[in-house]
Amino acid sequence: MASLYDWIDERTGVKRISRAILDEPIRGGARFAYVFGSGLVFLFLLQAATGIFLTMYYVPSADHAHASVAYIQKVVPMGSIIRGLHSYGASAMIIILVAHLVQTYLFGAYKQRRELLWIVGIIMLLIVLGFAFTGYLLPWDQEAYFGTKVGTSVAGEVPVVGEVMQRILLGGHDLTTLTLSRFFVTHIFLLPLALLLLVVLHLYFFRRAGAAGPYHHRDDAKVEPFYPYQLFKDMLFIFIVFLVLLILAVKFPARLGPQADPTSDYLARPPWYFLPLFQLLKYFPGKLALIPTVGLPMVLFGLLFLLPFIDRRPERHPLRRPIAVSALALALGGSVALGALSKYQDATHPEFSAKLRAQEEEARAFMKASFVPQEIGRSIPVNPPIVKNPPVVGSRVLKIYFANCANCHGADAMGGPMAPALVKLAKHWRLTKSFLVDYLLGHTREPAPGSMPRFKQLMPEDREAIAEWLLALDKPIRAMEPEAPAVAAATPSAKAIEPKKRTTTLGGPRAIYRSHGAPLEQPAFPPPPAAFTAHCAFCHGPRGEGNIGPRLISITEKPNRRPEDLLKLLTDPRAYGLKDPMPARFPQLSDEDRRQIVEWLSKLK
Amino acid sequence: MNQEQKVSPSPRRKPETSKIEQGTSSAQAIRNIAPRRSFLGLMIGLMTASIAGVMGVLFAGFSLFPAFKKLSVERDWTDVAPVDDIPDGEPVKRAVVISQDGGWGRFNTQQLVWIVKNGDHLVVYSAICPHLGCTINATDSGFICPCHGSAWARDGRKLGGPTPRGMDTLEHRVKDGLLQVRYRFFRQGVPDKHVIA
Ligand code: FES
Repeated sequence: MASLYDWIDERTGVKRISRAILDEPIRGGARFAYVFGSGLVFLFLLQAATGIFLTMYYVPSADHAHASVAYIQKVVPMGSIIRGLHSYGASAMIIILVAHLVQTYLFGAYKQRRELLWIVGIIMLLIVLGFAFTGYLLPWDQEAYFGTKVGTSVAGEVPVVGEVMQRILLGGHDLTTLTLSRFFVTHIFLLPLALLLLVVLHLYFFRRAGAAGPYHHRDDAKVEPFYPYQLFKDMLFIFIVFLVLLILAVKFPARLGPQADPTSDYLARPPWYFLPLFQLLKYFPGKLALIPTVGLPMVLFGLLFLLPFIDRRPERHPLRRPIAVSALALALGGSVALGALSKYQDATHPEFSAKLRAQEEEARAFMKASFVPQEIGRSIPVNPPIVKNPPVVGSRVLKIYFANCANCHGADAMGGPMAPALVKLAKHWRLTKSFLVDYLLGHTREPAPGSMPRFKQLMPEDREAIAEWLLALDKPIRAMEPEAPAVAAATPSAKAIEPKKRTTTLGGPRAIYRSHGAPLEQPAFPPPPAAFTAHCAFCHGPRGEGNIGPRLISITEKPNRRPEDLLKLLTDPRAYGLKDPMPARFPQLSDEDRRQIVEWLSKLK
Repeated sequence: MNQEQKVSPSPRRKPETSKIEQGTSSAQAIRNIAPRRSFLGLMIGLMTASIAGVMGVLFAGFSLFPAFKKLSVERDWTDVAPVDDIPDGEPVKRAVVISQDGGWGRFNTQQLVWIVKNGDHLVVYSAICPHLGCTINATDSGFICPCHGSAWARDGRKLGGPTPRGMDTLEHRVKDGLLQVRYRFFRQGVPDKHVIA
């Protein structure tokens, strides 16, 4: 064993290196006050290791990110713990970083030619905040999406360069899958690389300047080597931090809410370390908001950077530095107070607290729900297509529901990509019947683009019936029994017996089904313009095949629906006798959008 | 008085001097307290090892899990084509849609099959070569794999090349005039046909 070590040493010089590292003299003796630096090195390693393993399953795409995180959280063994360690580890990193900074500050350890050491440390603080900001978006749940939306908008507020900065952050004009990609790359490649280099630099500067030692002179004569005295204390601290993180990760799995839904009215709240700034924002309306979002952080970090140059007195004892210490106390105390105040205000505000609780409830429900894998390549059905909304015999309310609501709120009333779940909704919010009726009519609100349209076309008694039914709805509409589709399935296969009649008409799932032995042969279909997909497909079907809205194929052949009519119709549907739920107009469509949609529609035969 | 100097060294004074002094005195200290030092060293080792151990178990379970996941072989019949459309005699290549477990998603992807129909007699082969998994092509007289030159007869018998066995047949049935198969993957490179997924 020893000779092997010698053999390696002769070729690497490992003995000298380890002696140089381990025998570092600690002036004034080992102390628990010095453990934070090593703690941070450990956390960096822990974050790197857990992060690397998380990417084994994570997919940085807006379509799949959430599903892949849910898979890690719910299915992969140890996934919940590893994700928990990573998530709590991030918070721990910020806490310990602040502790490290406070210790250095109080001990005056930035003095005596340690300016660069200190400045590198402050840059690392910024980088860690960057880690927190970019990592927050990656799960792509409601919290992540809306939190990042607010965060990037704050960047957009900066005068002059703000807009460009925001676009660089987002990778475009909106929070999209491109944003996710660049946040991901920043989080896993750029920032770790930068941090690694800075850690090396920081340690180099530290060893060069030597440990500052205590601010008093009682132990000046005492010197202990780093190994084992300081290292033991460091390791003990690391061990405790690790245990705490592990217990947290096991007992309180890191939260994952439902997938981001840009159409929802999610009440965004920043993570705890940004709460003080968020609270300050409330006191500075309008343009003044720049003070807390941009001005204050800039002043704060400016001061931090310049600290060793501003405070040049050699005095290190905290009690003999009243200004410095009270400034720190003010900053820390103020942050804690602001954060607590923000929590308190949310807890006491009747609407916010109810909404936040409902959101938390939603996240909890999602965490409990079992994992549902995403269906990829669904356009090619594996089995004969299943009729999604079976005609429900007997219940009039369900018929109304399936005809009007199910497309957006889901066949089981558990919500869909465009609309929230209705199960327990009325109950939870203590809505009254008259409110629901009014809501359907659109009396209580002005339907915003993309929000729920008015349902004036419903008979008054139908509206009442739906409202009553919603009040009582406390479990999902029963999912279809597996044998039910067999009846439906028989229809297409029965048709398949007459092969001569098979024509490759567009549209219906049946056609796709029939030709899927060789799906590549499908006739080219003119792709719909993006504006159609975004604003019309919802009701008229992704290819204009009709849904709750009428079928649009060959629409231009109908009277009063020539392309020029359609262009006008889109600005004022009412003038063409259209009724609800087709919205009164589409102010969000540009002229170019309208032109593209109509052009596409006239090709749709 | 000397103390005073140590606390606030004048900028011109080199800190190295004091460092060297400390180095010697620490070496002195080490010799005096060797037993305590080895105890602390042991504790450090134990704590490091336990953290590494826990993380090792976590990472192993996390990353190895797909390799040891239990196979759920689904009894899905996949549609191929209306049986009357399949020409007699010559082999026909068709894509079938299969559903694969991709962890966070179910992937509906396509795989190729070869169908050989002779009147009432019909056989469906997987187009995956049993050697190393290339796609099998049809020739005038039978099948070959372009990768390493394996060859089979029309009836799937092995004729030559590195392939360990004949072409893999797939279970099929005709329902309401529609040919359906039960698509499977088979282990490559072994003489016997083993279903792996
Ligand atoms: S893979 Fe087909 S012969 Fe080798």
